[in-house]
Amino acid sequence: MRKKIVVPGELVSEERKKVGSHVFVENGKIYSDVLGLVYSDSQDASVVALHGKYVPQREDLIIGIVVQETFGGYIVDINSFYYSFISKEFIRDRLQRGAIISAKILSVNEINEAELGQVRVFYGGEIINISSVKIPRVIGKNASMMEALKAGTGANIMVGRNGRIWAKGGNTQLLAEAIKKIETESHLSNLTSKIESFLKEKNNKA
Amino acid sequence: MTKKEEKKEYVKNGKRLDGRGLEELRPLKIEAGVLSRAEGSCYLEWGQNKIVAAVYGPREALPKHIQNPYKALVNYQYRMATFSVSDRKSPKPGRREIEISKVSGEALEKAIFLERFPNTTIGVFVEILDSNAGTRVAALTAASVALADAGIPMRDMVSAVGVGKAGGEIILDLNKDEEDASDAVDIPIAILPRTEEIVLLQMDGLLTPEEWKKALKLGLKGCKQVYEVQKEALRKKYLEAEKEEAEPNVEATTQGEGE
Repeated sequence: MRKKIVVPGELVSEERKKVGSHVFVENGKIYSDVLGLVYSDSQDASVVALHGKYVPQREDLIIGIVVQETFGGYIVDINSFYYSFISKEFIRDRLQRGAIISAKILSVNEINEAELGQVRVFYGGEIINISSVKIPRVIGKNASMMEALKAGTGANIMVGRNGRIWAKGGNTQLLAEAIKKIETESHLSNLTSKIESFLKEKNNKA
Repeated sequence: MTKKEEKKEYVKNGKRLDGRGLEELRPLKIEAGVLSRAEGSCYLEWGQNKIVAAVYGPREALPKHIQNPYKALVNYQYRMATFSVSDRKSPKPGRREIEISKVSGEALEKAIFLERFPNTTIGVFVEILDSNAGTRVAALTAASVALADAGIPMRDMVSAVGVGKAGGEIILDLNKDEEDASDAVDIPIAILPRTEEIVLLQMDGLLTPEEWKKALKLGLKGCKQVYEVQKEALRKKYLEAEKEEAEPNVEATTQGEGE
């Protein structure tokens, strides 16, 4: 099904509905606040953004890069407005600058600063960047896209909500290509099957 | 000024010097997402005006003392390239550029949901590569598209147009020749098209109250036309990809140049 693309300020619905993400109500009508795709049924109205910066949310799993070591912990770049801090208390190893970690966001305060917990350290591998609004497409319904990517490239994948994907082993170059494809075609339907056939085709050629 | 120039007819048989009608815009072309390193960007051609706009952020505002814990700051910078005018322009930002940056930034502030990004700054950098009157409205139009391309939440787009008087007639989107007319009046207008809220309005020259009413009406009409082009530009990228999907072979053969 073709979804309507709206620009900021464009009408999403004139009816009274539950408002979802990226919409606002003015004079009883629902408008979009970003460039995105409309998801509207009889009860809900929301817009899925096509561009945007990562804003930390509670319970998000993110991938961070260590920027600096301090006396009690590490300063971590989480690809958002500010750097975050993780305490050495929770980490057994000594981390170098540039080390990759994953963490869960425990809480976010009113100025969007994130508190991190459940830290895991990653060794080796590489990071592939993608716009954070497209991460849900990289994961897919019930992680179907992730499964397809893992099967197609043989790589170990860890997806962070902040637009970073950690990958190790397998064909990471092909993975990067596939992710690029997901990014450019994220607004189209049937993406998982398309990526599956894309990976199959590439693997057959090699 | 020679006598010949004084007798210049700005409107003849309902046509202007460049062949446009009284209420006609110059050709407007907008392309979104042209710079890879910026979060949002836009290239705009409006008549002879050529403009690149880039948006960075929202990012932490530094030094820390400029931060506002209640809302984001908009750092709008309007700059003219040294080669954008016939005599070389000094690259130093002058009085005019600083003023335009201030008023345009304030116009955008009206549209953006600033309160969602406390302590941050949104950088909007607009470079005028070629100019032929009406650059501040063209820059604002481009900046608004770049902001939408960056995914920054906004109440509405900002659409702007110049309107004014030359040769005794109220006309839309003046070019340089018309702006230099002896009786010229130049009014840049920027609005939020949905509510028709005016976010920028300047004027130099003199108008009668009737002329002013006519000019404002014409300006609002012009802004709506600009808004349609802006919407088209933002959607274009995605509609193209959709078309490609529908008819992959036809696209491959007809679009030789590619992206």
